Amino acid sequence: MSGKGIKIFGLRKSYGSGDTAVEALKKVDMHVAPGEVVGLIGPSGSGKTTLLKCLGAVIEPTAGKMILGDDVIYDDGWKVKDLRALRRDRIGFVFQAPYLIPFLDVTDNVALLPMLAGIPNTEARNRARELFKALDVEHRAKAMPSQLSGGEQQRVAIARGLVNRPPVILADEPTAPLDSERALAVIRILNDMAKKFETAIIVVTHDEKIIPTFRRIYHIRDGVTYEEAGEGRNVE
Amino acid sequence: MISLAGRDILHSWGKFVFTGIGLGLLIGITLSMAGIYRGMVDDAKVLLDNSGADLWVVQKDTLGPYAEPSSINDNIWRGIRSIPGVDQAANITYLTMQVRKKGGDVRVMVAGITPGGPGIPGWPPYLVAGRQITSSHYEAVADIASGLKLGERIKLRRNYYTIVGLTRRMVSSSGDPMIFIPLKDAQEAQFLKDNDAIWAQRRRTAENPAFNRPGVPGLLDAIIASQSTNPYVNAVLVRVKKGHNPEQVAEYIRRWKRLTVYTRSQMEEILIGKLIATASKQIFMFLVILSIVSSAIVAFIIYTLTLGKIREIAVLKLIGTKNRTIIGLIMQQSIALGVIGFVVGKISATLLMAPIFPKYVLLEPLDSAIGFIAVVMICVLSSIVAIRAALKVDPAEAIGG
Amino acid sequence: MKKLPFQKRTLALFAIIVPLIVLFVYVALYSGPLAPVSVVLTKVENKSIKPALFGIGTVEARYTYKIGPTYPGRVKLLKVDVGDKVKVGQVIGEMDPVDLDERIRAQVAALKRANAQLREAQANKNYAQAQALRYKRLLKAHSTSKEMASAKRRDFLVAQSKLIAAREEVSRLQADLNALKAQRKNLALIAPADGLVVSRDAEPGTTVVAGQSVVELIAPSSLWVNVRFDQIRSHGLAANLPAQIVLRSQADKVLTGRVLRVEPLADAVTEETLAKVVFDRTPDPMPPIGELAEVTVILPQLAAGPVIPNAAIRRIGGKMGVWRVVGHKLRYTPVSLGVSDLEGHVQVRKGLKVGDRIVVYSENALNKHKRIRVVDHIPGVTQ
Repeated sequence: MSGKGIKIFGLRKSYGSGDTAVEALKKVDMHVAPGEVVGLIGPSGSGKTTLLKCLGAVIEPTAGKMILGDDVIYDDGWKVKDLRALRRDRIGFVFQAPYLIPFLDVTDNVALLPMLAGIPNTEARNRARELFKALDVEHRAKAMPSQLSGGEQQRVAIARGLVNRPPVILADEPTAPLDSERALAVIRILNDMAKKFETAIIVVTHDEKIIPTFRRIYHIRDGVTYEEAGEGRNVE
Repeated sequence: MISLAGRDILHSWGKFVFTGIGLGLLIGITLSMAGIYRGMVDDAKVLLDNSGADLWVVQKDTLGPYAEPSSINDNIWRGIRSIPGVDQAANITYLTMQVRKKGGDVRVMVAGITPGGPGIPGWPPYLVAGRQITSSHYEAVADIASGLKLGERIKLRRNYYTIVGLTRRMVSSSGDPMIFIPLKDAQEAQFLKDNDAIWAQRRRTAENPAFNRPGVPGLLDAIIASQSTNPYVNAVLVRVKKGHNPEQVAEYIRRWKRLTVYTRSQMEEILIGKLIATASKQIFMFLVILSIVSSAIVAFIIYTLTLGKIREIAVLKLIGTKNRTIIGLIMQQSIALGVIGFVVGKISATLLMAPIFPKYVLLEPLDSAIGFIAVVMICVLSSIVAIRAALKVDPAEAIGG
Repeated sequence: MKKLPFQKRTLALFAIIVPLIVLFVYVALYSGPLAPVSVVLTKVENKSIKPALFGIGTVEARYTYKIGPTYPGRVKLLKVDVGDKVKVGQVIGEMDPVDLDERIRAQVAALKRANAQLREAQANKNYAQAQALRYKRLLKAHSTSKEMASAKRRDFLVAQSKLIAAREEVSRLQADLNALKAQRKNLALIAPADGLVVSRDAEPGTTVVAGQSVVELIAPSSLWVNVRFDQIRSHGLAANLPAQIVLRSQADKVLTGRVLRVEPLADAVTEETLAKVVFDRTPDPMPPIGELAEVTVILPQLAAGPVIPNAAIRRIGGKMGVWRVVGHKLRYTPVSLGVSDLEGHVQVRKGLKVGDRIVVYSENALNKHKRIRVVDHIPGVTQ
């Protein structure tokens, strides 16, 4: 399911209408290539979360254009009918807290997504296990989420984001609850995975520890994005 | 696809089982209530069944012998016996009284049965111990619910009776255990008062100059003797010959004997329709209230369980779970809770509650089936609130908090 | 498909769910209408039974004497009281004679006067006879007239009639006197037989009518029990059968006796046959007259035959029968029944063989489709 990353042109989002309308996003332009991990940084109230929700297809932007892989998914209106299927198959999510389903074991937490897409249970579980190998949590495949450490949980969450091989993964503060060593490890994993699965990954963060690890950063301020391409940035 | 509801239940099975047991006890009470109602109806029916009669001949214009007092002469049966289509006719008396025994009183219905042997209408159709009455006096067959034992001697009015046999489920329409004694004894028991009353009655008679005339020796004795007999019974039980229509035979007796006659279906109508109507309505109200309480509890529990999973539901929605799957999750849990509750309820009603209720509790399989369907329906309905809450959850909540 | 996450959890789950389901299945199948009915079986026995009849009666005296005056009068004195024993001929009381003695004296005087009148009539007659004879002779000698002679003759006949009348008057008065004397003697109340005073109905000074009893006597040796048997259970009742008598006051003591006679008249109203049962030995102390007695008459033993308990008898479809157990199935078998005894054994004339297994007790009414569970005793019956 590798794709051609995500491209966003002139995305706008305003809440309310008329005089009381608030423009949360004024002009957002982003493009993330497959295999690339970019940071999205901005203070509170900058429109960061709104952007993430628009990208995650849970709220509808007001105007603009979004291209996911080869498909235009938004062009002043949704171009796909089933947003749930879109989220399920083509967007991966990794959250601040892992938000694993507490009543499913680690394997099924991850395998649930392919299962929802109609893939047989065994195959879905095999996919999950493959990812666990890559993410080094294979030995916890049968544990319940509550028995895992924070880092392990986050790795499982990443596996969940990846399992359907989406062209893009949205990671919302994935390192917030972790110490710097683990946080860096997570970023390293994300980078590895991005390369391995040809996925574009957008990491929303204000974690100072990890900002230097991004090759490319989008700053967002008052609903407008600015790109900062730093040559001095080096992941390794 | 895996069963999300199943996984959730397995994950927090303790919560489910304990909630289910609590709900189950409530359902058990509901089933017992239905059982008590069925028991009341059954009490009325077994009373009619056990009498073995097709027709009840009673005093004209009364609803006797169970719902109203009725009294007819004890030689009327001969006339009835000779009516075409009558196979057997037997006198019977019923007398509700308190019997003293070891460890307190027990309220019983004493039936006076025509001597002759098993098979005569009014005789207990089957026993659980002992034997049927063989003497024409001072023997009794008692229902096991009275707590009496074989060989025990009880006093009914003036005489002592030996319990020679025990029955089961031979009760009056109000559920009191029955005691069968020979008819003549019962007539005497029904009529004879205590010694003081007899003594006072005799003195009153002796002091009446009309009854105690000088010059007419023997008049007083004759009058007192005639005062102390009881030529009345409460009803005549009639068994109709095979091949005859009971309604026709009844009509014949009504017309030519000028007595009131009830057929089996009319008797049921009297006992169930009139005698226990209020009581059964009351129980029906209890059933309705209990059902409402049960559904409120199920709704509340399911709602609470769902609220505790709001975050997970948001995540599920975000990662693309269909609404159908989420509705299924909640409804399956609700139904599972109902099923656990029903199983526990059925067990507790049968093994714990029914035996301790003083009234007869009849748990019919059909009622259980209806109860099961009702429980499932209630659970489905109760989960609607929770489902609405779950569907309102915005997948966006998972992002950014 | 299910992969249970944890061994321990699974075990705990099974520990709760499995018993629950087992219980549920048990409850569904073994209670309510689907449950098998507990029954107690018995075998048809080959036994000879001793039928017996049971009746109740009251203790009565065979001979009761009600002693009272033959004329209305006042009781003068009573020498006995209730409970006293009297001998035959004993004077037990007297009626007040009132004016009887005076009337006797008057009668005696009247008799004397009548005797005097008789003597006078005799004298008159003798004189008239002599005169008549004399005038007859004078007439023959024609010394008197014919009229004179026939007048004397008539005088003689008149005197003769008067004499007869006077004689009859004397015997009438004599009879009257005798009657009064007899009455005087009858004022004594005399015991007609040896007996026991059971009631004293009038006290001295009471005026009683003729025939009203003053004292009631019974003969204690003649006690019997007047027993009433329901006609339905009086078959075989006959004189001289042995009987057991239990008095209400001595419920634990069985007295022996025999049937003296069966009354030819039955009680049509109460549908009872009456019989008199006498004690073999008069109980001492004597039971009070009117005490209730339960009487069991033992009939001759019958030849052995198939016998079942009466608790096994059912009536289905207008036929008497029993539930026979063949294999594990119930089969209703109509039977024809013979005599029964008081212990509840009934002879079977037709329908069953010795050794057949039949249902004697059942927890519920049976029908041929019911499953049965054979038990020693029906649950709930305390042994």
